[in-house]
Amino acid sequence: MTQDYWRWPESTWTSKDIDWKNSSTITAGVDIGSNSTQAVVMCDNSLFGYANLRTGPDYRESAGQAMKQALGKSGMTIRDIKYTVATGWGSRNVAFAQKIVDEVNCHARGARFIYGSSVKTVVDLGAQTCKAIRLYDWGRVSDFMMNDKCATGMGRGIEVMADLLQVPIQEMGERSLTVGKDPEPVSTTCYDFANTEAIGLFREGYKENEVLAAYLFAIAWRIHGTVGKVNPEKELAFTGGLAKNAGIVKRLERDMKMTALTSEYDPQLAGAIGAALIARDTVEKD
Amino acid sequence: MERFKEILEDRHEYARAWKKRTGGKVLGYYEPYMPEEIVYAAGILPVRLLSQHEPDDTTDRQMYGNCACSRDLLNQFIKGRYDYVDGLVNAEGCQWMLNAFQTTLNFKTALFNHYVFVPDYVDGKTSKDVMRSELEVFKKALEKWTGKAITGSALDHAIEVYNTNRRLMRQVYELRRADSPVVLGSEAMEMVLASQVMDKAEMNDMLRDAIAKLAERKPRSDTGVRLMLVGSPTSDVELEKLVESLGANVVIDEICTGSCYFWNEVIPQPDRLMAISLRYLGRPHCALKDNNWRRRPAHIYQLYEDFQAHGVIIAKQIYCHPHGTDNPLIWKVLRERNIPFHYFERDTTLPYEETRLRMEAFINMLKPELVLK
Repeated sequence: MTQDYWRWPESTWTSKDIDWKNSSTITAGVDIGSNSTQAVVMCDNSLFGYANLRTGPDYRESAGQAMKQALGKSGMTIRDIKYTVATGWGSRNVAFAQKIVDEVNCHARGARFIYGSSVKTVVDLGAQTCKAIRLYDWGRVSDFMMNDKCATGMGRGIEVMADLLQVPIQEMGERSLTVGKDPEPVSTTCYDFANTEAIGLFREGYKENEVLAAYLFAIAWRIHGTVGKVNPEKELAFTGGLAKNAGIVKRLERDMKMTALTSEYDPQLAGAIGAALIARDTVEKD
Repeated sequence: MERFKEILEDRHEYARAWKKRTGGKVLGYYEPYMPEEIVYAAGILPVRLLSQHEPDDTTDRQMYGNCACSRDLLNQFIKGRYDYVDGLVNAEGCQWMLNAFQTTLNFKTALFNHYVFVPDYVDGKTSKDVMRSELEVFKKALEKWTGKAITGSALDHAIEVYNTNRRLMRQVYELRRADSPVVLGSEAMEMVLASQVMDKAEMNDMLRDAIAKLAERKPRSDTGVRLMLVGSPTSDVELEKLVESLGANVVIDEICTGSCYFWNEVIPQPDRLMAISLRYLGRPHCALKDNNWRRRPAHIYQLYEDFQAHGVIIAKQIYCHPHGTDNPLIWKVLRERNIPFHYFERDTTLPYEETRLRMEAFINMLKPELVLK
């Protein structure tokens, strides 16, 4: 049986410590991206449960599955959730959400929950888009930039490269950092052309890890170009699936001359956490 | 209001019908510096060439690398969409439109054509004299083409018709200053765009009716976020409609197919051609012509303040070199004044989902209720 090198580990978690029945406000956030779906349940200000799954062909089904797994065996049902905010490319398919909020504002909010209120620059590294977000001191979004049109060099491209090189996706970043000095970056991050170029590098005698370094360096370079447009300032935080790729994060830190904040939370949950927090704000406001 | 939209969408049919009705000639033009009054005085219908959303399968061998707008115009000519046009004029603007003008003439050799040089330094000491002499040459070329002299009284009439149109459009735009405007951004833009392809006298009658009806219209209860639109010329209202679908409204624009088209009038003087020259040189500067005395940033800021916008959308047509060059300064000025803005590149077609995300995020960024803790 062939191995799916692109397949990243899905995860679910439900708190055993929080008695949700004693919570005054239960809210949820669902972030449906093109590759992954996250559902988060929050009891008051605490994370109660989450699920991080692969997005399927049916967004409604993906949203329902993620929410079901985030609730786990807690006994809580969707009816117990007071307010749900959906975000992400598939947000309009979340039938049980009362409101839709864009990813930029959700990631900004989620990043401050995950990394703390000192965050000034958030870089969301998703499957198709890179969003560089600047925040005011008080947390409001002051500016943002996105990659234009093409999804090249983002999460989906990494998956394609994982399969081509037959390297498990979660090992790609660390392995690319073992090469010492970075080779020249590949000249394009386009899936198709980068694949061809990677094959060409093998032919020239490059080792697997060197090809990885050349590819991830090119991706970091491209992301750096987008981030530079919002005049990034400390503190810096990465969110999204690619935030777990050390090969990209370390190169970006090096090129931006900044060290990103770290956290025990999964950075891929930022959008959904932000959505759940905005849901709570909405409840409080009403 | 529907009629403006219909004329804009069926602009080719409108021009064909005008031609059939009047027996007159139609002159297509590329750039906003084309002195329409002289054309109108010659009994010719000036029609601004506007791009449309159509797959471009003809221009790659002719105009590779140009902006989609200029390529689309060539595409439309090759496909016969502008078969009713009798002549083409390009008044010095961007290189892409000049390229479209010249390349079209390779295919349409029988068309009357004229090139009006417009100084890049519009505020230069000699610019008004240069422009005036260009208009003199242009007037003579039109007289030779039609076989008819353009009289002083015909020029006076044309100036009056065009100035009236500008005043009426300003009245429509004034309505947008209100806290709850009765006219949406998309509706106002449809009016301006329609005015660029219509007989101005007919347009003026329609505008008077529309303004009277707007006075009776109830404003929207939800006024939402007020936005300003800045950037490359556009020939549709997709962006305005998208913004409106998200609960916001474009209350003012600074684009050459929008407010810049009608913002200033011809101030009559005995030397009519000089009066027209001064009007075109003195119009809100296009990104390409804002060279020595930088007026564009101040004009943008003034409009932003006057129309109480909350933020600015800067939409640049991909490969638009004048705006690509000018944008960094605009960003700098907006940042210095703490004016929130979002910049993005658009193609002839608007990538809907991506643009919606951008607009949604920007509008949410400006909403007071989404204060992050």
